[in-house]
Amino acid sequence: MTALIFLLVAIAMMTALGGQRGIAGGLFGISLILSVVWLVHHMTDALPLSF
Amino acid sequence: MVPLVRFGNWLGAMAVAGVLAVAFMMQFVQHELPCPLCMLQRVAFVLCGFGFLLNLRFGSQPWHYGVTILSALFGLAASGRQILLHIVPGDKGYGPPVLGLHLYSWTFVFFVATLLGVALLLLLSGREPEQRREGRHALPMGILSRLAAWLLILVTLANAVASFALCGPIECPDNPTSYWLFTRL
Repeated sequence: MTALIFLLVAIAMMTALGGQRGIAGGLFGISLILSVVWLVHHMTDALPLSF
Repeated sequence: MVPLVRFGNWLGAMAVAGVLAVAFMMQFVQHELPCPLCMLQRVAFVLCGFGFLLNLRFGSQPWHYGVTILSALFGLAASGRQILLHIVPGDKGYGPPVLGLHLYSWTFVFFVATLLGVALLLLLSGREPEQRREGRHALPMGILSRLAAWLLILVTLANAVASFALCGPIECPDNPTSYWLFTRL
């Protein structure tokens, strides 16, 4: 999954360099949403905290 | 765009590329394989770099800074989570410390610095009429800006390849000890 996210961001960067800001912004949005979903997916362990 | 602001964005893009290059060096030279949270922190770095790249390409715009701020907040969440996982006294943390701090702690510091830097760049960004017009069209880029942009793209693509080699198409193990791809060759 992280490989896909990196690839999407790389395409977004190349699209921005090509002058297509709207498409690049859309790809960024998709990448950020996927990243947040993947972060939540990995937040499975209970934190070892006690107060 | 104000030259100082342009320089700040160039510096941000180069810093992101530099940090990712150091992480790459640690991965391949010292054989420190990144965990899933570490990979997500790298994702946050390239997303921050994307915001800086937008400013270099289209001029300084609030929504470009929004991209960097959102990405830095995501990076803070990922690195903060990893710090809390290892916060109990006696826990040796993940990976060896560098200059007294683990990489995820340095990452946290870097994202806080990014937020401060973006706040400063926003303060320095003017609101002159010609600057408001920026953002609708791509601006010409100098050789140093092009260098920063292509370095960012290069490290992002390299991370895509390395991430696939380490984790495969779906999920990384919590504590990877070998490359997924190489075990299948």
